[in-house]
Amino acid sequence: MKYASQKVAFWFFATCMLLFTLQLIYGFIMGFAHMGFDVLHDLIPFNTARAVHTNLLVVWLLTGFMGAAHYIIPDEVQRELYSVKLAYIQLGSLVVVGVVALIGFHVNWWEGRKFLEIPRPLDYLVVVNVLTFLFNIGMTVFKANRASTTSIVLYTGLVAAALLYLPGMIYFENQTMDSYFRWWVVHLWVEGVWELIMGGILAYLLIKLTGVDREVIEKWLYIIVGLTFLSGILGTGHHYYYIGAPKYWLWVGGIFSALEPLAFLGMALFAITMYRRSGREHPNKLALMWTMGCAIMSFVGAGFLGFAHTLPQVNLYTHGTLVTAMHGHLAFWGAYAMIVLAIINYSMPLMTGRKNYGSMTGNLAFWLSNIGMLGMTGAFAVAGIAQVYLERKMGMDFLQVQREVEPHFLGLVLAASLFTVGIALYIFDFTKFGFPSDEALGVSEDTTVVV
Amino acid sequence: MLSKSQARLFFIVGTIFFSGVFLWLTVDTIRQVPNQTRAANITPAVDRGKKIWEANNCMGCHTIFGEGAYYAPELTKVVERRGEVWLKTFLKDPEAMYPGERKMTNYHFSDNQINDVIAFLKWAGEVDLNGFPAKPTLSATTASAPVSNLDLLKGAPSTFSQLCTACHSVGGKGGNVGPALDGVASRMSAEEMTKRIKDPMSVKPDSKMPKLGLSDGDISQLVAFLQTLK
Ligand code: HEC
Ligand code: HEC
Ligand code: HEM
Ligand code: HEM
Ligand SMILES: [Fe+2]
Repeated sequence: MKYASQKVAFWFFATCMLLFTLQLIYGFIMGFAHMGFDVLHDLIPFNTARAVHTNLLVVWLLTGFMGAAHYIIPDEVQRELYSVKLAYIQLGSLVVVGVVALIGFHVNWWEGRKFLEIPRPLDYLVVVNVLTFLFNIGMTVFKANRASTTSIVLYTGLVAAALLYLPGMIYFENQTMDSYFRWWVVHLWVEGVWELIMGGILAYLLIKLTGVDREVIEKWLYIIVGLTFLSGILGTGHHYYYIGAPKYWLWVGGIFSALEPLAFLGMALFAITMYRRSGREHPNKLALMWTMGCAIMSFVGAGFLGFAHTLPQVNLYTHGTLVTAMHGHLAFWGAYAMIVLAIINYSMPLMTGRKNYGSMTGNLAFWLSNIGMLGMTGAFAVAGIAQVYLERKMGMDFLQVQREVEPHFLGLVLAASLFTVGIALYIFDFTKFGFPSDEALGVSEDTTVVV
Repeated sequence: MLSKSQARLFFIVGTIFFSGVFLWLTVDTIRQVPNQTRAANITPAVDRGKKIWEANNCMGCHTIFGEGAYYAPELTKVVERRGEVWLKTFLKDPEAMYPGERKMTNYHFSDNQINDVIAFLKWAGEVDLNGFPAKPTLSATTASAPVSNLDLLKGAPSTFSQLCTACHSVGGKGGNVGPALDGVASRMSAEEMTKRIKDPMSVKPDSKMPKLGLSDGDISQLVAFLQTLK
């Protein structure tokens, strides 16, 4: 760690760990409900559990991105953060708004639009909060008067994510229009600007961990994010097939979304190539595992499983079934959860000064969580494909089909337990680092050059 | 090989170009959607229904237009599937209609609110969704949808085919929550039937059949019809 202000990142990461834990608890509530044990129905009905599960996911990922920015930007532009105090205020107020929203979900206070459940008055607070964050990071770059490509791509992604939140706040009487602009937030986030954020963090980690020349890595970064927008913007059309929008979206969305996996493939190949060219041995093997894991799993979850249901002929039957949940889990895990866990793993030793690289628990955490998540994906896949055949192809009644697929939710819960053990170990490892310290300032990364 | 500045150019030009195309298609979509969605039919009741839908996060269990959660039935065509009479009774007390099933929250809606929700769902069912939901392509094995065009049901009052067949079958068609009603007239008298329909709990305290709150006129029509099922 070069700058004392980078330490604020720790508090963002600690918040991530807390929110992530809560997210999993609500996942289990839904898993059990799907198995037929909706015992908490009167206290936490399914729609509450679901809103909490997905909103916590989005909030902890955003908190992780913010933490990453607080760590990476000072390092990249070579200057202390503009204001540490502002960063703490911003994190604190984000947590307060989040907690109020979560309580609201338990007392039927929400907006009832998938992924954008946060009630309108709180939306405004979120906007102010994010602007504060962008101001703080923006001023850091501005005052430094020196920006690297990596920091520009990361910052552009964050600004664009904030801008794209706005279309989701317009009210439409027409459900079709409502949905049309809701996707500007949801799709253009995960298959657009968040990929910039992911690419930026990935590039930073690769520069640090492999020692490959920055110019080479950053050139590829531009190509990859270029591919992202080339395919992802018009790829939004894969959500417009069957919501009452014009028919041309079937082929516009079909063609361009089918190209989207290219960006993820690019990301995976990019990471693997840079790893092989690696001119140095970085001691933090775990961070490298998470980084490479992210690049590969994002291709499997987003690229491969996204492609599996993106063509309109297929989507006509899979639209709005458990097949979507299968893809949603592995895509979010591979692309965004793993990149956040990677930057945490990379930065913790540097912020705290404890060289706890590649511990046994850390390794187990990586493997158990990934195997668990693949198991969950498999369980959702079997349940989803059965649902598509029985309900959509054969016309069987919805509830009857749900009873047929109940056993697969036992599978889901078992795999999720394995996954949760992995995450528990990760958090245990995280707490072992203790708090960040100024003693870690200026300590080198102990890389050894291999030729 | 591409240089870094060429790569940057590719990113910037590509992004601007495709954003432009996207905005252009959006303008065209905004122009076409009112027609495709029959926006002229969006009455104040439909709008109120949509607001009830959002205020209670129905999408957190159900899908509509295939969007939402995967815990409860897709509702785009529910008015067509169940009929308004059934929906009104169902929304008054969801659990009563599906005893022992996965639970839906009881919102204790007023009659006006129920009418608004149904208006919204009815509008949604009439939007041109480019073929969604698709007709099942493999042969159907079960039918729990209401029966309407069966010979046996020729003389049936509309309440029967809209409400009762959700749980009871006649001639092998209909729901399987309650017993089949074929030959019910040979099992019970008209008085017994009337009592059962008026207040099922009075006959069988743990009855799974809901008290449907029908008028006396409706009930006598129903009983007259049931007496024909010998
Ligand atoms: C929510 C499901 C449900 C609905 C709707 C329903 N019933 Fe029933 N009904 C049942 C169940 C379950 C029974 C079995 C006995 C019990 O638990 O009381 C039953 C029993 C009966 C019986 C006695 C049959 C026998 O052979 O013992 C009659 C008659 C009857 N229902 C008529 C009707 C009529 C007429 C309607 C429409 C107005 C209707 N039911 C609507 C669930 C339903
Ligand atoms: C906690 C989850 C949950 C919520 C929230 C919920 N529902 Fe349901 N709903 C269900 C379930 C489960 C069923 C299936 C029947 C049953 O078991 O009651 C259902 C059935 C229905 C049906 C009948 C569908 C059919 O095909 O038979 C309608 C209509 C309906 N719900 C409307 C609504 C509306 C309107 C709202 C919001 C005001 C809503 N639901 C909120 C769970 C939910
Ligand atoms: C990391 C990137 C991605 C993430 C996090 C992600 C996540 C999700 C989520 C959560 C949904 C459910 C949305 C909803 O119904 O409200 C979804 C839907 C969908 N995704 Fe992705 N996705 C990613 C990338 C992709 C890619 C690259 C493709 C295509 C190749 C794709 C294709 C689809 C399709 C077709 C649907 C609609 C499913 C339906 O009709 O129900 N996704 N995605
Ligand atoms: C303990 C582990 C978990 C369990 C048991 C679990 C279970 C579930 C269930 C049952 C649903 C609801 C599907 C429905 O609507 O019926 C769901 C939704 C979702 N979960 Fe999880 N989950 C877990 C962990 C995660 C993790 C780690 C992530 C992200 C990395 C995640 C992301 C999502 C997303 C994006 C959705 C919405 C999917 C969609 O709408 O298509 N979940 N989860
Ligand atoms: Fe998408």
